[in-house]
Amino acid sequence: MDAFEAIKATFFQECDELLAELESKLMLLEQGQTDLETINAVFRAVHSVKGGAGAFGLEALVRFAHVFETLMDELRAGRKPCDTVTIKTLLRASDVLADHIQAAQGLAPPVDEERSAGLVHELELLTHGGEAPPVVEEDEDDFGFVPMAFDVPLDEPLPSLGEPEAVAAEAQTGWRILFKPHGRMYGSANEAGLLLRELGRLGPITVSVDDSALPTLDVLVAEDGYLTWTIDLTAAIEEKVVREVFDFVEADCDLTISPLGGGSEPVPVFEEEPPAVLPASDELDIAALLAKAAGDAPAAEQPTPEAVAPAPAPAPAPAPAPEAVAPAPVPAPAPAPAPVAAAPAPAAPIPPAQVAAPVAPAPVTIRVDLDRVDRLINVVGELVIQQAMLSQRVLESGLARSSGIALGLEDLELLTREIQDSVMAIRAQPVKSVFQRMPRLVREVADMVSKQVRLVTAGEDTEVDKTVVERLAEPITHMLRNAIDHGLETPDERIAAGKTAEGTVRLAALHRSGRIVIEISDDGRGINRERVKKIAIDKGLVAPDAALTDEQIDNLIFLPGFSTAAVVSDISGRGVGMDVVKRSIQALGGRISISSVPGKGSTFTLSLPLTLAVLDGMVVSAADQILIAPLPAIVESLTPQEGDLHYVGGVDPVIRFRDRFLPLIDVAMTMGFRDTPVVPSEGVAVVVETEGGQQAALLFDAIQGQRQVVIKSLETNYQQVEGIAAATILGDGRVALILDVDVLVTDMRRRSSRPDFKLAS
Amino acid sequence: MKKTVLTVDDSRTMRDMLLMALEDAGYTVIQAVDGIDGLETLAAQGADVVITDINMPRMDGFGFIEGMRADPNHRTTPCLVLTTESDAEKKARARAAGATGWIVKPFDPVKLVDAVRRVAA
Repeated sequence: MDAFEAIKATFFQECDELLAELESKLMLLEQGQTDLETINAVFRAVHSVKGGAGAFGLEALVRFAHVFETLMDELRAGRKPCDTVTIKTLLRASDVLADHIQAAQGLAPPVDEERSAGLVHELELLTHGGEAPPVVEEDEDDFGFVPMAFDVPLDEPLPSLGEPEAVAAEAQTGWRILFKPHGRMYGSANEAGLLLRELGRLGPITVSVDDSALPTLDVLVAEDGYLTWTIDLTAAIEEKVVREVFDFVEADCDLTISPLGGGSEPVPVFEEEPPAVLPASDELDIAALLAKAAGDAPAAEQPTPEAVAPAPAPAPAPAPAPEAVAPAPVPAPAPAPAPVAAAPAPAAPIPPAQVAAPVAPAPVTIRVDLDRVDRLINVVGELVIQQAMLSQRVLESGLARSSGIALGLEDLELLTREIQDSVMAIRAQPVKSVFQRMPRLVREVADMVSKQVRLVTAGEDTEVDKTVVERLAEPITHMLRNAIDHGLETPDERIAAGKTAEGTVRLAALHRSGRIVIEISDDGRGINRERVKKIAIDKGLVAPDAALTDEQIDNLIFLPGFSTAAVVSDISGRGVGMDVVKRSIQALGGRISISSVPGKGSTFTLSLPLTLAVLDGMVVSAADQILIAPLPAIVESLTPQEGDLHYVGGVDPVIRFRDRFLPLIDVAMTMGFRDTPVVPSEGVAVVVETEGGQQAALLFDAIQGQRQVVIKSLETNYQQVEGIAAATILGDGRVALILDVDVLVTDMRRRSSRPDFKLAS
Repeated sequence: MKKTVLTVDDSRTMRDMLLMALEDAGYTVIQAVDGIDGLETLAAQGADVVITDINMPRMDGFGFIEGMRADPNHRTTPCLVLTTESDAEKKARARAAGATGWIVKPFDPVKLVDAVRRVAA
């Protein structure tokens, strides 16, 4: 990849960030925060996209961004109101802009011409508000003098500063340049010497200087321009090329360029040259220039627009005497002389406070290739395993826990953990990147199903491992679609139900007991349990006579092949149901639960581990198998006493735990490690709690200890196994399975012990 | 001696492009991401020529140039402004603030280096 391609890649990366910024600022506008800084931020984002796109010749993108930018420019200048209609259009424009960027990247087909053109039209309509496009005011006649340092370039090797030389015979192929810098020119760090050097590059030059305007020292203003240069350039080049040298300073000097030859004497004083004698140049209006020069002196004393207006008949005015040109004391532009029609809105001056504002230190960041971080994480994972193995070996060797080696190992373990936490923190990212994609989705889905939806987000800054963030996008997308398509009512239905026409969907993220929780709630109609049950029965998902609690009915929508949409819609009926969402959440070590109130709405709650790399677990054994029970799910462990055990219906064991009876699940049996149940009083019961708050006791043979384990995906290395979340490698090198407590407690138990469910599923 | 150019631009893409063009032409390049950062960098490291964008967060290009001109050490340091198109109003404002010249984006590396050479003492 060459440098150019690398920069292009950077550009697209930057575009993603700019789009995210654009989206979030537009959301702020939508929420009514229409202050200048927010509008400016939107402008800058679009402006930067356009700037970069221009550099890479991405024409379609530039064209669209330009129209967008023009409207933003009007908004930030306050010439157009930032009202609801405008913001809605801006939001849609940002979507099209994103599409253009995708297309430019070759990630998507070219943007639908009609859609793009339609929005361009809308944007232009808003920009011009149906009136004629405003005439762009040219504000070139800014002649405020700025006192600035001014060096006579003594160190420049100027050819011949003496008497003007006679013009040579080949003078037809040359130019005479009269150049009188204003003090202002020096104020912008332009140097006459450098300009002469530049002319010298074009061809041999002869320079003479007229210093007759220099006042005596006592009245000399050191930072003003008093000198007039006459340069004869011998080179067969176009006038345009000569003029380009003065490109930056044209407005800050008097400049005439005329062909050399005709034997005309060098004219030492520019102002005395009658304009009529100078061959007219089509690029420079000498008359206007003179008029401006004439207008300068009065303007300094009495700055009225009339005084600065171009005089229609420019009388060869005497040069303003240096003494008369009182340098303006402040470097502010004099009242802008507006020679044409209405004055443009004066550009807001930079508030001095902004310049002098105390400088907040920007957070220092570096960009690191993700591969490097991943490599580090992998190695640290191995380090943790190695450390665990070492600890175990030391323990096995019979060394006392108080021995130096054992104590040193303990410190090592703490350090290893700290390294691991720090490394994980590198990968932690706010969920913002996913949340920011959602407003667009909500807009599009709402448009498609003709519903009015407001998306409220909270907790965007909640951090979670990068892998988790990336894999959150799909389930959230799907659930938001569902919430809008199935959850929310149509505006008419809502009004009939006494609600606002606009439905609200809330997307929130928060940390709860070492996990990240994502909540998606709507204020729609809630789950129609009768209908859900009927569908489940019709589809043979449950037995017709099954007695189901509300919660169980709600959970039916997670069963494979379940879809409540009477008409399979474009939005959520894509053959991908909630069962897929549930599976993908489970693959992340997460859980999903639902709560619903008829007429009030539904809430889906996702709970995910913060990282997919490590887990604190309890090491247990069941029928010669070493298993890991995730520590966050464990409430306490106890040895079952014969008197606390009861059997429901003579089959299902329950155990008394703090005046309640909890189901007792024989893990080895449930997982199929053995066929005969163990005698409960000979094992250990571990009380666990599911995400939904359901408690149960898991029966194991023994507890071996507690440790942090590195999670290795079972799915990637083998296949998904029900009841098992992942695997790990123990200190002695053996593989141990990590239990999925929720599945064990809810699904598997139900299936193994309840014949009616077994038949139905 | 190698001349140092300070580039002030909030766009990473643009900073990279300037860096590539200027380093190829033999300049040392230092970078800043906005006007405030630019003034700090300039005060700390100095520069022979400055190139700045106009639209930036925290402090824009106009504010940056005015701030730079208010510093006795950099009153005469040449400063080129990046403008997206030949926007007369912006050029005039930049010049009023003390800009030495301008470079029209998207720029051609040859023209960019030419402009820098023209204003560099």
